[in-house]
Amino acid sequence: MTRGPKAVTERAIGFGGLALALIAPLVFNAYWVDVILTQALIVGIAAASMIFLAAYGGMISLSQTMLMGAAGFMIGNMVTKGGAGGETKGLTLGWDPTLALVLALAGTTLLGVLLGAVAARSTGIYFLMITLTYSVVGFYFVGQVTVVSGFSGIANINSYTPPFVGDIVENRNRLYYIALGVAIAVYAFIRFVIRTPFGLSLQGLRDEPVRMSSLGYAVPLHRTLAFGLAAFMAALAGILLVWWQGQIAPGDIGLQATIDLLIVAVIGGLTRVEGAWVGALAFIVINNYIRDSWLTDLLDTVRIGGSFQTIIGLIFLVIVIVSPDGLMGAWDRLWGLRSGTDSGEGPSVTAIPAGEKLV
Amino acid sequence: MSDRIAQLDIRRLAPKLVVGLLVGFALLYIVVLANPTPDIGGNWRTTTFGSAIDDWQSFTRTLLNGLTFAGLLFIVASGFSLIFGLMRVVNMAHGSFYLLGGYIAYEVQQKMTGSGYSIAGVEVNTWEWVFPALIAAASIALVGLVVQQVFLRWNQGQELRQALITIAISVIIADQILAHFNEGIASSVTWPGWTNRLVELPLLGIQYSLARLIVLFLGLAVGLGLWIWLYRTRTGMVIRAGVDDRQMTSALGVNIQLTFAIAFVVGSSLAAFGGAVGASQGAVAAGQDGQWLLNSLVVVIIGGLGSLLGAAAGSLLYGLVFSFSAIYLPTIGGNCCTQYSIVFTFVLLALVLAFRPQGLFGRFS
Amino acid sequence: MRGISRHWKLVLPLGVLVVLATVVVSTSFAASKAKTVRVAIMTDCKGGFGFGYEPDIGGAQAAFANYANGKVKNKKKPSAGMTGIRVGNTDVQIVGYGCGDDTVPTAVKETRRLMEQLKADVMVGPLSGDEAVYVANYAKKHPNKTFIIGTAGSQDPTLQIAPKNMFRYHGDGAQWNAGIGEIAYKKLGWRKAAIIMDDYSFGWTSGAGIIADFCAIGGKITKRVFPPLNTTDYSSYVQQLPAPGTVDGTFWVVGGTGTSAALTAYEQANGALKPSQHIGNLFFAFLGADKVVAPKVAGSYLGGFGTAPGLKTGQAKIYEKVVARWYPGLNGGNYADGFVYNYYNAAWALIQGLTVSNGQTGAALHAKMPKTLRSGYEVSDKGSVKLDANRQAIQDQYPLQLVKNADGSVAPVVIGYVPNVNQSFGGLFTKNSPAPGRTQPKCVKKKLPWQGKIKVVKNGIIYPTVIK
Repeated sequence: MTRGPKAVTERAIGFGGLALALIAPLVFNAYWVDVILTQALIVGIAAASMIFLAAYGGMISLSQTMLMGAAGFMIGNMVTKGGAGGETKGLTLGWDPTLALVLALAGTTLLGVLLGAVAARSTGIYFLMITLTYSVVGFYFVGQVTVVSGFSGIANINSYTPPFVGDIVENRNRLYYIALGVAIAVYAFIRFVIRTPFGLSLQGLRDEPVRMSSLGYAVPLHRTLAFGLAAFMAALAGILLVWWQGQIAPGDIGLQATIDLLIVAVIGGLTRVEGAWVGALAFIVINNYIRDSWLTDLLDTVRIGGSFQTIIGLIFLVIVIVSPDGLMGAWDRLWGLRSGTDSGEGPSVTAIPAGEKLV
Repeated sequence: MSDRIAQLDIRRLAPKLVVGLLVGFALLYIVVLANPTPDIGGNWRTTTFGSAIDDWQSFTRTLLNGLTFAGLLFIVASGFSLIFGLMRVVNMAHGSFYLLGGYIAYEVQQKMTGSGYSIAGVEVNTWEWVFPALIAAASIALVGLVVQQVFLRWNQGQELRQALITIAISVIIADQILAHFNEGIASSVTWPGWTNRLVELPLLGIQYSLARLIVLFLGLAVGLGLWIWLYRTRTGMVIRAGVDDRQMTSALGVNIQLTFAIAFVVGSSLAAFGGAVGASQGAVAAGQDGQWLLNSLVVVIIGGLGSLLGAAAGSLLYGLVFSFSAIYLPTIGGNCCTQYSIVFTFVLLALVLAFRPQGLFGRFS
Repeated sequence: MRGISRHWKLVLPLGVLVVLATVVVSTSFAASKAKTVRVAIMTDCKGGFGFGYEPDIGGAQAAFANYANGKVKNKKKPSAGMTGIRVGNTDVQIVGYGCGDDTVPTAVKETRRLMEQLKADVMVGPLSGDEAVYVANYAKKHPNKTFIIGTAGSQDPTLQIAPKNMFRYHGDGAQWNAGIGEIAYKKLGWRKAAIIMDDYSFGWTSGAGIIADFCAIGGKITKRVFPPLNTTDYSSYVQQLPAPGTVDGTFWVVGGTGTSAALTAYEQANGALKPSQHIGNLFFAFLGADKVVAPKVAGSYLGGFGTAPGLKTGQAKIYEKVVARWYPGLNGGNYADGFVYNYYNAAWALIQGLTVSNGQTGAALHAKMPKTLRSGYEVSDKGSVKLDANRQAIQDQYPLQLVKNADGSVAPVVIGYVPNVNQSFGGLFTKNSPAPGRTQPKCVKKKLPWQGKIKVVKNGIIYPTVIK
């Protein structure tokens, strides 16, 4: 298969970006590495799990933030220590961090499979609302059940990391590289999964659920498994998140946080996994820098009033109106304009290999 | 063959059996099993007031609290459901419309009574409550019309995109409310003076708030109005036809765009009217937009999207479970606490979703 | 024409990107070169406390304007900024305003933006308890930065976590309610009472102050009810409260947005509210509640916010004059609100610290931060707040009563003066005691340092007689 100029350009940009990411601590200042880029990588992983479900499973899940938080709350309860001078919130079990890491990942994946099994029977906007409901239940659960958290959340989780991770409070670049490594692994994993027979039939189910069902494919099972995989990716993001911010609180999985992740995925583009990190970076940079800009003063000048939140809302509105498939969509269209044809790889329907049947 | 049918039946019946048993147990617990809390200690049977037999009046109050709360839920959520049912738009700005409506009602009432603070009920007459509520509904109807015509009309069928557009609008409205309406932590509308009393309920033998009964009445009135509109007028007929089959209705020469606009306007103004009622029952405050979006979502998820009956059933179930779980979940010790009532409310959601993903009265389209 | 319509979908997003890039680049290169002390003011601009954004910034900047030469850019909008601040020979620059929303995750991002991106040396802030807990943990890991809490009611930042570079020149949520239990016991004759409190850390802490104070003098709390945060309909929670007559009264620790709704629910369940049967915390009168909540419960007593509205001391008048001079009409002209007052004091303490440290930041500044601070509403110790060993204020408190004015509005009036309230309530709250929660503190009779020493205040004048 020959690659078109678009694919070549994308590869070049991809590897260029990767190379830049690898030497980022040399190029950018500490704040950019530690806050902007690390955060973008982590949020990007969570967004990638959402895009994975949306692009290849046709499911828009608003549970990814909650699953991310679930992993965070699990590890937070398991690793922190109580007693004099210790933490006052959560179960403060004080378990071994490596064990806690494994249990949190496994527990969240299991939770994802269970929730996915219930949600898998719905589609479209119903699926979206059911997964939103999961998020809300999760938010109230950790807020109300003070034994495991309460509204203040659990602090100082990043003081207890497995030995192979080491001290990430002092060595912030280490956390950056861990996040980068996990992000690359997640990206590669998604690329791998969508080419496996499972991934191919998942995409088939996305486009032709009825036909696939009548061909004997177990539709709910495929969707449940995909949801479980996405939960695992979200869990990875959740662990990184608590290591990065040191703590976790119900606000991390509230409605606002859930919508923020959706915005990230949409800005990036719900059709391509790469969009997750593009969207995360764009979102974080906009949130971080727009408020000190002249755009906010402009609101007062034109006598509308309000703060930079209005600007962020407007930017988001413009993006959704102009390019519903986000920045990646705009990129694809750029090539479409130039060559007159769309040469994007995209998650178009891939033929299902004959006789191939999973499960 | 017959074995397989029997098996299928069991698989189909099992969920119903489980739900039936759970509901039955809950009812049994509330009516008979629960015990009043002792001063010290407690077990799974101890609740705030004991069972309905132990304390009939508290049971009735809890029931009425649930019903009246459901009235408010229905006013707000029926608008949300109407918009979704016809246009497949999940209006994520519905909570913002509620909040904006509440603030507008507050501002108008302040202008009319001219005090600059919430005044006692005796000083407010009926008109000074009705007019602000109507102005709020009318203003948000206009906002809704603009949103629908400018932002949603040209991208019909793109459900996610429309939901995202309304999210962006809700972000902007939230910030603008903060900039223009929010002078303190909360603002509240005052009920007219004559509602501010307890009335004797003849058969039940308790006194109950007239204002709360009025909320229930308003909920019923909105329900009845919507029913007459949807089932007894031509516009309503067109809307119902549109809910069932949009293309077909359109093909029959009906101006579906006009119908859409009307539905969106009505749905939005219901949110604002609910905001005025909610602001009178408590207060409106920044951050409640998300709260009411959730309330609306919960109601329509339970009841089924786009169904008037579903919105009513969802409001009732949500309202009742909310009030009963606060009172009838087990408590421990004389001075502490029913704790997990909100979580319990959402267990209801999980149950509904697990066994009827489309909601109690919803249909898959 | 057709070309444009075909290309606009591409041109617009690219245009947006270009604008954004310009904005990012221009702001990231705007950092100053001269060696100045960089100060960030952290507050909320969204959510329940979002309305506090301008009052908080205004309070802090009024101090900078008055004592450090700061130039006000816009008298109506403090967040428009301030230039020209000089303390001694040192330039002070306000590098940014934090925009929290009363949740921890936003506080995380905003704190890091201010301290790391904008490279602030000092934070004046944050607002609200949970945010302060996070900032305290952050402070521990950034010992060279200085944190002066803006307004926060949680105990942990200065009791459990207590980083050496964090200072709080005002009381916590429990301290703000000191004396109100004794007032209930003595002036209203309460012996048995119920309490309804928000089910999160500020509710628990604020309630803890009331429970500790009321039980210390011999009162009994017979029922605790915990409505969840963001409750829409309080009727089911209010129903759990003992009916009027079965207890002497009810303490209300339902915060902010819910206060009015909770009281309405009580009124709808039990008939008109009798002022002698209800006592509230600061949410009966402050943060705009004077307009919403106070008219419902005119005549009731309430705990305070560490401030004394209408106190007629020279110091109090000076404070109010200073704020009015630089930001007239700030917070609706209500300068005796904790938000304005506490941010003002935090900034003023910083100015004094920087003066003594000669503009040095870090450990040098921490050592020189004032141990006592002359604050507007302080009376004891020659009008100064004292810091304890954990750098937490020992402060005078003023229980209040809601009084109806001639025009029908209702305002809080100081009725008592509680001298030198410390954070530990006579040893009840310590580093190792269980944090306030649903069952903590227990109701115990004990001796509090201020017990029996609450002085009568009438018309803003403190009398030598104690409240009996």
